[in-house]
Amino acid sequence: MRIPDLNSLYDAGSRLLLESTVRVGVTGLRRAGKTVFVTALVDNLLKAGRLPFLDVMSSGRFQAARLRPQPDPDVPRFDFEGHLAALTGPDPHWPEPTRGIGQMRVSLRYRPESALKRTVQPMATLNLDLVDYPGEWLLDLPLLRQSFAEWSTQTLDLAARPPRDELSASWRGWLATIDPAASAEEETARRGAALYTDYLHACRRADTLLSLIQPGRFVEPGDMKDAPLLTFCPLQGGPRGRGSLWALMEERYEAYKTNVVRRFFAEHFSRLDRQIVLIDVLGALNAGPAGMADMKRALELSLEPFRHGSSGWLDWLFGSKIDRVLFAATKADHIAAHQHAQLRALLDRLVGDARNAIRFEGAQVETMAIAALKCTESVVTEHEGRQLRCVRGIPVGRDRPTVLFPGEIPEDAEAFPPGRDRPYNFLPFRPPDDLGRDPRGLPHIRVDQALQFLLGDYLT
Amino acid sequence: MTERDTRNASKGWVPPMELDLDRAAPVPAEEETALLTGSGDPADLLPAPATPVRTTRRLGRWLFGALAALVLVALGFDTADLLARAFATSLALGVLVALLAATAGIAGVAMLVTELLSLRRLRRIEELRAEAGRLEVDAPGGRADRFAGSLVALYSDRRELAPALARVRDHVTDAHDEHEVVRLLDREVLSPLDRAAYQRVLRASRDTAVATALSPAALLDFAVVLWRNLKLVREIASLYGARPGYVGSLRLLRRMLANIAVAGVTESAHHVAVEALGGSLAAAISTRMGQGVINGLLTARVGLTAMHLCRPIAFGPDNRPSMNRIRKELLSVPKQVL
Ligand SMILES: Nc1nc2c(ncn2[C@@H]2O[C@H](COP(=O)(O)OP(=O)(O)OP(=O)(O)O)[C@@H](O)[C@H]2O)c(=O)[nH]1
Ligand SMILES: [Mg+2]
Repeated sequence: MRIPDLNSLYDAGSRLLLESTVRVGVTGLRRAGKTVFVTALVDNLLKAGRLPFLDVMSSGRFQAARLRPQPDPDVPRFDFEGHLAALTGPDPHWPEPTRGIGQMRVSLRYRPESALKRTVQPMATLNLDLVDYPGEWLLDLPLLRQSFAEWSTQTLDLAARPPRDELSASWRGWLATIDPAASAEEETARRGAALYTDYLHACRRADTLLSLIQPGRFVEPGDMKDAPLLTFCPLQGGPRGRGSLWALMEERYEAYKTNVVRRFFAEHFSRLDRQIVLIDVLGALNAGPAGMADMKRALELSLEPFRHGSSGWLDWLFGSKIDRVLFAATKADHIAAHQHAQLRALLDRLVGDARNAIRFEGAQVETMAIAALKCTESVVTEHEGRQLRCVRGIPVGRDRPTVLFPGEIPEDAEAFPPGRDRPYNFLPFRPPDDLGRDPRGLPHIRVDQALQFLLGDYLT
Repeated sequence: MTERDTRNASKGWVPPMELDLDRAAPVPAEEETALLTGSGDPADLLPAPATPVRTTRRLGRWLFGALAALVLVALGFDTADLLARAFATSLALGVLVALLAATAGIAGVAMLVTELLSLRRLRRIEELRAEAGRLEVDAPGGRADRFAGSLVALYSDRRELAPALARVRDHVTDAHDEHEVVRLLDREVLSPLDRAAYQRVLRASRDTAVATALSPAALLDFAVVLWRNLKLVREIASLYGARPGYVGSLRLLRRMLANIAVAGVTESAHHVAVEALGGSLAAAISTRMGQGVINGLLTARVGLTAMHLCRPIAFGPDNRPSMNRIRKELLSVPKQVL
């Protein structure tokens, strides 16, 4: 009876030794492609047929991957099966925008590379923990650094400028009729919050891809629908006395910060080991200069914790644990393959600041153009005596493929050359048919290289 | 048509638009089929590398050619003479001599052809390496598939590489750029070959070390070392697909002498001796042993240089073979022998 005990003890010991866990943060603004990325990543790991640039695969040391129970039982599970079914089913479609948080764990079994490790246990395990959440919530992060007055000024300023001025007209009209110094009425607060929320919803619907939507829970409340915490909105003017509407709103704003934002980030961001930041650069190009500027601002805000000089609160928020950060331009399958280098260069320019800051903090940074789910092929066609490289795929809402020349990102010049009003047109493509029958996993672009950068050193 | 051509063909800007579905072809059509069938002949796929004209070498070639032709003519006359005389003596003898002459002629031609073929293979590998280098530096677009086609063609008759080649064919998509295709081929196809080659180098250098240490006469071990080195070079070259003939091996050896620095092998024999003998146990061992270790190290260098020269894609900084393991192995030889 003793010997099995010893054995299991040995097992437990070596599991402790060789079972490691890595938490990868999948960060991105709304519609950046987080959900699709996590789904494609997990599917590819499970099927292990399309990851030639992941060293553990190409050296033949990879054994298998399995879904395991997630570490935090109180967090909803990421609906992997549901999303995969949507993408690979008979009528392939994209997953719905994410409404709440979801977590998942994949365990990878592999043979360690070093002979020393192999003598302790021939098989090692890496638990990969992933979290998906609505992209809107990411922009709550910069609120932590702003007082109510600062945030109000900034938001009002933004709302008065095109393209948002029209969307915010009724809310701003209401603002003009009230006096922030007047005594606080719950009714007024509710009305203001409702109008402000309408404005945010309008921003979200706008076809110029407006990213800057704060606070995130107003549009994606998750489990806090109608909570009093969500009944405030920015007000004009400076701080007012006690009992005023201003004071009430400020109090709720602060409560939102402590109870919602801080909690969310402390629970899900502070323990990350690696980070991938997904950026829908092409979506911003599609939306034109206004959309691009908006995304740039939103990015700057959400990457602010990475900025040099703010490492104090970076440490508080992220620990100083994150030692690799990957910026990825998503949906690279919207452009022909020869344009990937330009896309990456554009991304480089977009995140240059943050990248330097992260390097300065001692973490490794990389940029890539990726597609979690490759929906198109690159093709050449002739147009007015000229060879054009295009993409071929089935646009969402149609059932016949089309050949699209989406416009080309210039190599060195500005992304929006003057005098051309719509230089890009990236149609959304739907997932290809019959993905479910491919035993190799979802087709992708460079997800394996992303994985190698993020996890390669764990899998040695 | 490369990307650059596309841009230059017309400065006119093309607005985003949808185009005729039926006129579009996958990029780049003809090369992709080459990749898929593995039937690209590098001789016509790859542009010939520009060779600098060297007059002295050309003169040498003329001299050699003329001499060879003279010898051939003389041989022809002699043979004809011989035949005539043999037939004059007796018919049986004439037939015998004719048969011998024919056999010699056919064998000679066959040998010449195989030598030429092997030389071509060697040159093909060199061209591939140059092309891979060019692809690494600037990616002109659409050339990687050609490269892949040529490499696949080089190894298409190798049974043991079939799974790796199939994997590459499976993995390469239209979204990979030239850099990635080259890296993929490097990882999937060449790194198993590297491992095998390294094993052979290891074995050969142990062989020479032990043989030198045990051989009774200096002349004998010189012969053994020479023979083992030649064998090693041919083994490695065949492993990477060069299968050199005699002329090919000679050419390789000549290249190696010129290139011995490639493997990071800048030290002289003196340096090697210091390295081998300066170690803790080296002083204690006999000169024979020391000689063995030195010969082993030299063999290893020859082997590694051969690997560098025969590999269709040059080694990168993180996969170049290192002397370290060989060195360790060799320093343990004296203990084993004693
Ligand atoms: N062609 C293509 N489209 C993609 C890809 N990834 C995402 N998309 C498109 O982008 C949309 C948004 O992707 P999601 O993964 O749902 O984005 P998200 O970041 O989870 O968005 P939220 O849940 O709203 O935060 C999808 O509906 C697709 O239309 C991709 O790899 N290729
Ligand atoms: Mg989502």
